[in-house]
Amino acid sequence: MSSSRFFSWALKAYLLVFFVYLFLPLVIMAAATFNESRFPTITPWTGTTLQWFSALWADSGMWSSLVNSLMVAVGVLCLALPIGIASALFLTTVDGRGKSFIYALILSPLLTPGVIIGISTLIFWRGWGLNGGIALTVIAQSAFIAAYVMLMVAARLQRFDRTLEQAALDLGASQWQVFRRVLLPYLKPAILSAAVLAFLQSLENYNTTLFVAGYDTTLTIYIASKVRTGLTPAVNALALLMILFTVGLAMIYEFKRRREAASRPG
Amino acid sequence: MWQQLRRRFGVPLAVAIISLLGIWLIAMVLLPQWQMIDYSFHPSLLPSERGGVKDVWSLTNYATFFHNDIHLAIFLKTIWSSVLVTGLTLIVSYPLAYYLAKVATPGQAALCLLLLIIPFWINEILRTFAWYIIFAFKGPLNELLLALGWIDRPIRFLNGDTGVLVGMVYAYILFMVFPLYNAIESLDTNQIRAARDLGAGWGRTHRRIVIPHAKPGIATGCIMTFMLAAGSYAVPALLGSPGSRWFTQIIYNWFFEGGDWNQGAAYAFLLLVLCIVFVTVIMRVFKVGLGDIAK
Amino acid sequence: MDGRVSLSQVAMRFGDFTAIQPTSLDIESGEFFSFLGPSGCGKTTLLNMISGFLTPSEGSVAIGGSDMTRVPVNRRPTAMIFQNLALFPLMSVYQNIEFGLEVRGIDRQKRRKSADELLELVALTGSGDKPVAELSGGQKQRIAIARALAVEPRVLLLDEPLSALDLKLRQHMRIELKAIQRKTGITFIYITHDQGEALTMSDRVAVMSEGRIQQVADPMTLYRQPQTDFVASFVGENNRFPGRVMAVEGELVTLDAGLPAPLYGRSTVPLEPGDPATLYIRPEQWRVGPAADRHLPLGGVILSEHFEGAWLTLEIALDRGPTIRAQVPHLTPGADVEVPLVVGGACRLDYSPREAVVLAGAVHEPTNEEGVDVAATA
Repeated sequence: MSSSRFFSWALKAYLLVFFVYLFLPLVIMAAATFNESRFPTITPWTGTTLQWFSALWADSGMWSSLVNSLMVAVGVLCLALPIGIASALFLTTVDGRGKSFIYALILSPLLTPGVIIGISTLIFWRGWGLNGGIALTVIAQSAFIAAYVMLMVAARLQRFDRTLEQAALDLGASQWQVFRRVLLPYLKPAILSAAVLAFLQSLENYNTTLFVAGYDTTLTIYIASKVRTGLTPAVNALALLMILFTVGLAMIYEFKRRREAASRPG
Repeated sequence: MWQQLRRRFGVPLAVAIISLLGIWLIAMVLLPQWQMIDYSFHPSLLPSERGGVKDVWSLTNYATFFHNDIHLAIFLKTIWSSVLVTGLTLIVSYPLAYYLAKVATPGQAALCLLLLIIPFWINEILRTFAWYIIFAFKGPLNELLLALGWIDRPIRFLNGDTGVLVGMVYAYILFMVFPLYNAIESLDTNQIRAARDLGAGWGRTHRRIVIPHAKPGIATGCIMTFMLAAGSYAVPALLGSPGSRWFTQIIYNWFFEGGDWNQGAAYAFLLLVLCIVFVTVIMRVFKVGLGDIAK
Repeated sequence: MDGRVSLSQVAMRFGDFTAIQPTSLDIESGEFFSFLGPSGCGKTTLLNMISGFLTPSEGSVAIGGSDMTRVPVNRRPTAMIFQNLALFPLMSVYQNIEFGLEVRGIDRQKRRKSADELLELVALTGSGDKPVAELSGGQKQRIAIARALAVEPRVLLLDEPLSALDLKLRQHMRIELKAIQRKTGITFIYITHDQGEALTMSDRVAVMSEGRIQQVADPMTLYRQPQTDFVASFVGENNRFPGRVMAVEGELVTLDAGLPAPLYGRSTVPLEPGDPATLYIRPEQWRVGPAADRHLPLGGVILSEHFEGAWLTLEIALDRGPTIRAQVPHLTPGADVEVPLVVGGACRLDYSPREAVVLAGAVHEPTNEEGVDVAATA
């Protein structure tokens, strides 16, 4: 009995340490935004200020890279969502020989290091005259983000009751109408979640983007370059805003997901 | 396959599905990889020399790698460090995953999962940058250790591999926790109770009951973590020093500083082979299939 | 509106497995027709060939006189009620009912008008805006019917639609389905493994087993004149006496079933003395009397009795014969049986040969699991 009490006590202590480890760096990074010190730190605290937000506001490089990032993210949505949905439809419809091979191919981008995806995309498209830039970034990121989309859509698709399709067909709908009116509305929540995830993945991506961005610097590449050259707490201000943005998006997503789960009968 | 698609979706939609899947797998996955491999077996040439007499299949690029002691050492160090990161992450994640799956009440587990997800949503660069601040020469960690009197001079954490290891464990921990949690959660709690009831201690219960059951989760977590660690560029670039370079940095240099893409492709292919070997070995050792990893 | 359905020599094979043996059948326009059989007998396969979800390996399907064999499911004049109803969960009641009209491009007002009429027909006026998730089981059932009727099918196909309902509702829906069928005059083709459903609602019933139609007849004929051993034992209960024909006089057959006395029954198939044959006696056809009543030809010992309200069910071991099941009116004061029947006591039995069917062939083994076969010989 005493050993199990010891274990449960140790587990609780471990949890505490773990979550401190998880959040303290983020808190320190956020706090450093408000320190007057020219180098981002909290020691020593030289005075509280909001000046780094205005420094960030005045940073034109940040703004142009943000615009690039958003353009890439929108492009990824346009490319990776249809591909991911199509693959999920494919995998849940067909069976037979060759399916497991295609399945392995579909999953392979998830098991390939991001730099490799960037490099292979860069090399391949140079042969077609397409050099690093926004378009190439969209292609490279979509190569693996589509696999995430596929997994999320397929998970919901597997629970779909195929007799609904039969019923719609039987009532005279064409296959397109069945897809449009029955299957797509059913998939909508999964597609929305996948879109949010794909958007964030695209905004955050660094390893792949590094090789294919060319001169169209994205936000993550801009931040990384700032950290190495010309680091000021303006980067912290940007980090804080990005954290608030992602956390906000995550909360909305989580809230919607829960409300949906609660409203589902049974 | 075509028949099944056509019957369910009709010809236009079936064509669209096949085309999208085909474009993805062929133009975005297979051909680029193939081209990269092909590149790695050709010498770097001026555009005018391509297709000429010098454009031959050769192993020169690989020979360069195996004759460069520094690169070889960095490659081996990358493997070793990635294994270390994977092991550390597994050790750190296991108690947490076990707590979430078997000890916590549903409410506590939901809260913890949400807390875990929040950093997961935040950029790898920013998560690494946070550690950059902590590890800085005059940063909070050194200040704390000095104040506690545990050290008398600040330590240059960012000079060796320590910073890189800690940063990587931090950055990839969630890729380990979630597969582990999913695997342990599916274990019938009564099995643990039965083992305890039959007199097994905590250590034995975990070794004989929980860990064997969680094997697919452990395999998935290790594969993801190793792949991310070996392929990481951001963490070593931010938290490492010139003396502790990562293999990805060498690859990057071939592309954007050395300007030798063929050489870079060879290095990239080596990294890819390394990851494939690791995935295969883990899948064999743990006897899991691709389907288990996708969960 | 011509709702005839003709199957000519349709067969269905999946690889080596033959799901439907070549079958021909004509269903009249406006008929309530049921396919009755245990699960796996092929009735759902037949239904899917009529609806168009399956294309027969051989033969042809015609509806209203025109060939439908190659017509895809969404262009056939049929509508289906699915076993799980398959209501679209994300749509309202109106949207469900109007779906078939909407995909045909019919304008909103006309759609709404016919939806309202159908809601009235199924007695759910005013619930059109509800989400289907809020409906009760019986209401969902009616919406499924309304949705199928909205497309004005010539043939309505029903795939065990009542199986998910509880007993009371199921019995109520039987009456309602029959009433809707009369009102609309549409051909109903009904699939079920529940003989109560098939017998109460149908004009005709096809009993199926192992991919073959055993008999097509109206419910009364099916019960009183089964043509195969399967039908005799699957529809209702039967006591089975395999034996050998001793004599034939017109329809009257004398059978030696190894009992102390010969058995008498009626046969519509030609039989010769010496032929193997089986005689069937329904439990309710037995007359059970006191052991002293020597007018009754057969003797036995009562093994058990079960009180079932209107009936008393007895299990009786016949002297030198099998154990049979008999249903007798239970003994109330003033009943004409004076000697009470005691478990463990002897009794005498008789039955009316007019109601005992004789079929060719001596069947000793029960042929299926769902059919109640009381008289498997020891």
